[in-house]
Amino acid sequence: MLDQFVMGLSVALQPQVLTYALLGVVLGQLIGVLPGVGAITAISLLLPVTFHLDATASIVLLGGIYYGSQYGGSIASILLNLPGTPSSVVTCLEGYPLAKQNRAGLALFVAATSSFVGGMIGVAILVLAAIPMATIAVRFGAPEYAMLVILGLLAASLIGTGSQLRSFAMVVVGVALGLVGADATTGFFRFVAVRELADGISLVSLAMGLFGVSEIIRQAATRTAALNTPTIQMRDILPTRTEAASLAGPMLRGSSLGSFFGALPGTGAAIASFMAYALERRVSRRPQAFGTGHLPGLAAPESANNAAAQTSFIPTLTLGVPGDAVMALILGALILNGIVPGPRLMVDQPQIFWGVIASFLVGNIILLLINIPLIRLWVLLLRIPYQRLYPIIIVMICVGVYSHRTSITDVILTLAFGILGYLLKRYRFELAPLLLGFVLGPLLEDNFRRAMLIYRGDFTVFITRPISAILVAASVALVSFAILSALRARRKRPKPDRAERTT
Amino acid sequence: MQGADQTLPDRLRRAASGAVLLAFGLALLFIAWSYPVGRLTQMGPGFIPRVVGLLICALAVAIIVSDLLAEAAPPPGMVHWRGLVFVGSAILLFAVLIEQTGLVPAIFAAVLVSMFADDRARPLGALIYSLVVTFGAWVLFILALELPIPAFWR
Repeated sequence: MLDQFVMGLSVALQPQVLTYALLGVVLGQLIGVLPGVGAITAISLLLPVTFHLDATASIVLLGGIYYGSQYGGSIASILLNLPGTPSSVVTCLEGYPLAKQNRAGLALFVAATSSFVGGMIGVAILVLAAIPMATIAVRFGAPEYAMLVILGLLAASLIGTGSQLRSFAMVVVGVALGLVGADATTGFFRFVAVRELADGISLVSLAMGLFGVSEIIRQAATRTAALNTPTIQMRDILPTRTEAASLAGPMLRGSSLGSFFGALPGTGAAIASFMAYALERRVSRRPQAFGTGHLPGLAAPESANNAAAQTSFIPTLTLGVPGDAVMALILGALILNGIVPGPRLMVDQPQIFWGVIASFLVGNIILLLINIPLIRLWVLLLRIPYQRLYPIIIVMICVGVYSHRTSITDVILTLAFGILGYLLKRYRFELAPLLLGFVLGPLLEDNFRRAMLIYRGDFTVFITRPISAILVAASVALVSFAILSALRARRKRPKPDRAERTT
Repeated sequence: MQGADQTLPDRLRRAASGAVLLAFGLALLFIAWSYPVGRLTQMGPGFIPRVVGLLICALAVAIIVSDLLAEAAPPPGMVHWRGLVFVGSAILLFAVLIEQTGLVPAIFAAVLVSMFADDRARPLGALIYSLVVTFGAWVLFILALELPIPAFWR
């Protein structure tokens, strides 16, 4: 394993690969800083460009954008109370109070180091898990894939923010949207209203519509409060020794949680950061300090989301099952390059597999080194009002969607999904589960149908095959836990309390 | 308390989002009903759509019930009509123009129209900014990324 990793490192340090890693992480950090542009927008825009690159360079570039955006996301959260990415929402809770106390430099430093620690632990787990996962993955048949997807879809609806019922409904709606187009097994056209839909709805238009366009519709006329960007004193960015010592625990806990939720399909960086913050508050001896600029509350979620960004590559690269929309796009880029992700990738093309993983290590080091020096530049960018930014985002969305399949229908669909996303959000439906249902739905249908065909409609196959049985058990545990905690929450919250909350 | 002032329109409004979902599920079932279903061992293309449609209807009913029983949800606030109209027209304009006039005019039109989603946009400022953005886009997409889209009409 170690020699393979060293081989990967030699790939990652080739000038060309290194250049794309650098480009990816800087671009990622930039889009992470800018609120309203996410990794999804940037990656879909660059998808056509990766046609001209080889597979390693494509994944290094797109992967760099993804984890780079996790670093960048914390900057706008700390300085402006404006999360640049969904996973840095909780970073605002402790980061912004620190900035108001004129300790923005310290907050940025802690966020960057926590991100680095989380990213490194994530990469280490990715390296350690790769070979065992690939050996297990070889034994994955249709029942296992079907159950893994079900676990992922359940996790996406039950873990996280928002109503679980509504999130589950969104997952199923996503699966429904994934049905559009020619049926993979029989070629039968389903829901093909116009000819262009024969290939199905494009992931790029769905993602850009739901997350890009809907956000612009909502935000276009909103003004952010006048920017009083705090001056960052470079000399007081370092934490004191006691402060530094108090951060080791949160970082480790955050990284472990993040690694777990990243590797679990259906949950990712955003959920990991929420969970890490909640856990930190529960184990803390001073829970009342949270919300006032408490450093452990900043360190834990920042390391969690970066660890998750790295470990989310585990199911994508070893099983070919993307855990979220960003991973689905990266998977798409691999497939466009003629590479099929899955258990064979590591064996057949070790230089790609290990080269990509090693580049994550390199990328995290680059990010740590450029983070602090570039902060002045990011602060400058944050002074740009949203009204100057969103027309540019619209151009990027239009051109990105159109150039993906050279289809006008896709552009119009993007607008339709934008309006849909705007309305869904308005009525408290979460959008991420919908996208995941869309991504994983076809995989579920295909494998479920195959499992039923191979095992002659015998449902017991799901619990007699060992790996599948474990996945079923995990799903059952997840559902029971969700039901139990819902019941407990209802008992805990008696009626008077309810009335109080509505007033 | 809550129950007393729950007028009928208020209840209807609260059930609306679930009702729309129910309509979606029913429409899906209606379209997919004619697809061949097959058997469990040999599923046809209509099997999963039917399951999905039924599941959506069931979830929609559950959501309607829980919305009616729950404490009043915070009102969703104003509709962003300006954003919907101008962002919508900008993207539609791009879709209409891209193959007629090429990339550069399509981008220019989309940017110019989208600027008015902000209620404080001024015509002259918007025009100048649109020209700047269009020039930047031309440099990025045509010169740097070399996207295979014609820049202008031929």
